[in-house]
Amino acid sequence: MNNIYMDDVIINFGFASKEEKKKLLKENPDKSIYMDLTCYDPQEFYNEFPNLKGIFSALFADEAKRIEIHFKEDNPLVLEHLVSLGYQPIKTTFTSCGFIFPRTISQIINEAYYALEEGIATKEDINRAMKFGVNYPKGPFEWSQGKEEYVKTLLLELHQLTKDDRYIPNKALL
Amino acid sequence: MNINKVLVIGAGTMGSGIAWWFSSLGVQVHLVDASPDQLERAKKYCTDQTYRWATKNNLDQSLTQSLLEIISYISKEEMDNDYDLVIEAIIENLEVKKSLFKELDQKMKPETVIASNTSSFPIDLMGEAISNERKKNFLGLHFFNPAPVMKLVEIISSTHTDKTLAEDLYHWFESKGKVPAHCKDSPGFIVNRVARNFYGEPLRIAETDDEKKFKEIDQVLKEVGGFRMGPFELMDLIGVDVNYSVTCSVWEAYNKNPRFAPHHLQEKLVKEKRLGRKTKKGFYQYE
Repeated sequence: MNNIYMDDVIINFGFASKEEKKKLLKENPDKSIYMDLTCYDPQEFYNEFPNLKGIFSALFADEAKRIEIHFKEDNPLVLEHLVSLGYQPIKTTFTSCGFIFPRTISQIINEAYYALEEGIATKEDINRAMKFGVNYPKGPFEWSQGKEEYVKTLLLELHQLTKDDRYIPNKALL
Repeated sequence: MNINKVLVIGAGTMGSGIAWWFSSLGVQVHLVDASPDQLERAKKYCTDQTYRWATKNNLDQSLTQSLLEIISYISKEEMDNDYDLVIEAIIENLEVKKSLFKELDQKMKPETVIASNTSSFPIDLMGEAISNERKKNFLGLHFFNPAPVMKLVEIISSTHTDKTLAEDLYHWFESKGKVPAHCKDSPGFIVNRVARNFYGEPLRIAETDDEKKFKEIDQVLKEVGGFRMGPFELMDLIGVDVNYSVTCSVWEAYNKNPRFAPHHLQEKLVKEKRLGRKTKKGFYQYE
């Protein structure tokens, strides 16, 4: 987790535990905070911390660095800063846990791990199948490379939030 | 491996596409269907495809003509018994398929490889209709629509399929420009299983029947995820009923595991006959 301080604004990037994210918000009640909340429930954070002014999901960003953002309070400087870092922010009205892309891709990745565990196919064949059978830009294991911790954290958060067992992460992710 | 003569059974969208793809390689193809009208439609499709392909590749008239003549549109009674490969692409009805496989098993020479393009039935289950001697030469070859364009072929081995055969087919398809993937016989194989969440999760994010939400989710998945189509526009294109039916079939096959559970919106739309583009309304409204 790293922070960029700009006068009365903090932009928080990176992966951290929910407690660490909350600690930053608690310790800076007078700052407007814009935070990467890819893996946690935004509603819980928005309700608990009035100083949380916006959220974004940069953890799953690919080479194009397109990210979903939801700003409760518009701040052109924060937006400019994200752009200056190479991000292409896409505004969303959704404040659902895991935004849209991270949540969807995490579930696709999770199912690919279940298929792998059951010996349905190799990682390579699963990647090829999804790219050449349904035109996915990447295979599930290409997407998940280096992001397994985020996938697991997001799925556990969704499981806790919804109590729906569809979000139980495959053991290879735990 | 040599594949010089292929029989494709079922002249619908998949069967026609598969037949044309083989013909474009110079493989002799017999395309069979019980319906003369269906065969006529398939012939038109294959002829148009050949002319387009010939123009694109600057083929001369005689070569184009020979490609047109390499496919024969025949009735079941006209089938030979010396095909290298037979691909079944008929309706998804287990009993009908089993009965066809039994007949093919009896008619074809012992070396003929018999394959199913099924997207839903276990290969082992269909293989019950096949003699023990033939079982090693029986497997799934799952093409994707449109077959001439989509590169993937899932090669599904049953418990009896000869591993060398599956491997030979893998290399044969690869050498002809397809992208093969080996797959164990299991519900949904690879794609129809792993892709379920591309629909299931966005449905749960949207949660309610709201076109604005569908549009936003589609847009984000295209822009951020790089998908060519969003899940809602894709379901409308495939047919909401078709997608719902595949979802239910995979869910049932996995003993109603919640990872594959259909969403209430799918059932609602099917009940309201909002089946997608074909009914001019689905998740979206069409003019």
